[in-house]
Amino acid sequence: MSIPISLMAHLVAGYPTDELAKAAAQGLAEGGVSYFEVQLPFSDPSADGPAIQSACAQVLSRGYTVSEGFAFIAYLRQMFPQIPVYAMTYGNLAYRRGIVRFAEDAAEIGIAGLIIPDLPFDHDEGLRQACTQVGIDAVPVAAPSMSQQRITLLGNHGYPYVYASLRAGITGTETEIDNRTLLFLDSIRGSSRLFGGFGIRNASQVGLLAPYVHAVVAGSVFVDLIGAHAGEGVAGVRQAVREKARELTGM
Amino acid sequence: MSTLGYFDRFGGRYVAEILQQPLVELEQAFTEALADPAFLAELVEQQRNFVGRPTPLLYAGNASRELGGPPIYIKLEGMAHTGAHKINNAIGQAMLAKRMGKTRIIAETGAGQHGIATAAACARLGLECVVYMGDTDVRRQQPNVAGMELYGATVVPVHSGAKTLKDAINEAMRDWATHFETTHYLIGSALGPSPFPDIVRTFQSIIGDETKRQMADRGIGGGTLVACVGGGSNAMGFFSTFLDDPSVRLVGVEAGGRGPAIGDHAVRMSGSGAEDGIIHGYKSRFLVDADGQVAPTHSVSAGLDYPGIGPQLAALGERGRVTFTSATDTEALEAVKFFARTEGVMFALESAHAGAAAIRLARQQESDKPIVINMSGRGEKDLFITSPLLRLEEWKEFLESELARIGGAE
Ligand SMILES: Cc1ncc(COP(=O)(O)O)c(C=O)c1O
Repeated sequence: MSIPISLMAHLVAGYPTDELAKAAAQGLAEGGVSYFEVQLPFSDPSADGPAIQSACAQVLSRGYTVSEGFAFIAYLRQMFPQIPVYAMTYGNLAYRRGIVRFAEDAAEIGIAGLIIPDLPFDHDEGLRQACTQVGIDAVPVAAPSMSQQRITLLGNHGYPYVYASLRAGITGTETEIDNRTLLFLDSIRGSSRLFGGFGIRNASQVGLLAPYVHAVVAGSVFVDLIGAHAGEGVAGVRQAVREKARELTGM
Repeated sequence: MSTLGYFDRFGGRYVAEILQQPLVELEQAFTEALADPAFLAELVEQQRNFVGRPTPLLYAGNASRELGGPPIYIKLEGMAHTGAHKINNAIGQAMLAKRMGKTRIIAETGAGQHGIATAAACARLGLECVVYMGDTDVRRQQPNVAGMELYGATVVPVHSGAKTLKDAINEAMRDWATHFETTHYLIGSALGPSPFPDIVRTFQSIIGDETKRQMADRGIGGGTLVACVGGGSNAMGFFSTFLDDPSVRLVGVEAGGRGPAIGDHAVRMSGSGAEDGIIHGYKSRFLVDADGQVAPTHSVSAGLDYPGIGPQLAALGERGRVTFTSATDTEALEAVKFFARTEGVMFALESAHAGAAAIRLARQQESDKPIVINMSGRGEKDLFITSPLLRLEEWKEFLESELARIGGAE
């Protein structure tokens, strides 16, 4: 491929076990990903599809806590300091701890930013301010259904990064990258760098999208893969994830 | 109405960006519909001849005498078509969806009452209907599943999470996020992202409007209104007419379940178990753990078994305008028996929580100001739940003989 591909890979913290989640991260790092997006599991993840939802449920069923999720991220920071970690979760986990404290705790373990899809940018409960205070990014989510008015409003905030969800709906179903998608990306870019994702599963989608975004996000594809290879243990998960990551990054 | 989607600090529109625009469009369409005489005329027609309104306000003379307290009245909302107040909202929103050009309706249901009401409304209006229902609920509420299917709806069992109402809501939200161009999400209680709490309350407020007229016709006023509270749709519909009338006391009754331990009840307002939270698109009081994960709940009545409460009720509770109390599973069952015996009226288990609280109030109350109970649903739907509790051996025998009769035994 002519242009270097920057990939943001999504992981569910602690899925399917701490050990295998770490193995998956190792595989992703070896596969050349540029960013980790780590989901802190929430009991009611209504913006996620079945794969990520059941992964989250499985992790929570062993009593997994937010603090354990942060500890997993701290491990990633230590092992792979060159790969920034964005934490993705749902509003209630941040709200319960207190938005300010949540941002402080995130900053302390070296999280680069927070992605919380059910805290919309114009009603974010002070997330952006709290993040700015501690020097990390609040990354708002943009979607193709946005009105021009909301796009302008979002642009006015001048976020350094914006997460573009590329299709109507939820994570995990395949995305077709058409003209409309590219127009949408142009409309929200402004001065922000874009993470673009939802439904990315193969190299040709990545290749098509990469020129238009700062990094391509791939999520369910890895979660599915990790689930499918969990039975093969650390080496199996690491290898499967590495191969997929290499395919997507073109490494 | 809410102020920009908020009721004091509760409410809001905490959904993924993809759903912000569909909610804006819904709010616009709702405002326009309410200003359209043709829409309102059709609503009245549906309420009268499909829903069966007005529902009666019954003087419960025998019950009042036996308790030795004030006069008790029962708003027989359970006499509405499909057996509960849910139909008021279902037909209203289905009409709104049709007006918006939507061809497909999705809904969540717990016990199945909202699912039944939505399926019936969709059948009547010629709309496709898909009902999400937790797998646990599908198994224990088969009669309602059968009813929904008869009305032509597709019932989709939800296997995620706790496999109950809250998971059905998540699944419906997912569907809506993918299909909002053709599809309306017909939410079943006065909760969810704005403008749903306003929409549901508006279509349910016919309960309170009628009650007020019926009380005036009988020359009674003041007193106490009692309603059970799951998400809050029957309570808000019953109360909203009276919010500005200080002579009327408003009491909401939550599910006390088996007791105060986490997982044994659904008490959000009257106990100390709930916290402020942001879940299912709105800010309110929720039963959650220390991390903010949604906590398990329990009630003998499937319709009250929900970890959150509609934002307007949460605000009215904090302001002290609505007083909250709870009734246990046992008290609710006792109330079902009491009103069946004294008045020939069978309460739904949900509504029986209001009945139980009213019995308690009547025993304590000195004045002769009336107590008006909203019987949000009728109890026939619960026979599969109450029978094993009230007459286990006979019920087992019945089920076994039915199984044998239809050839399923051995
Ligand atoms: C008869 C009846 N009453 C009450 C409820 C609780 O809902 P809400 O609080 O929205 O009225 C339900 C819900 O299924 C119900 O079926």
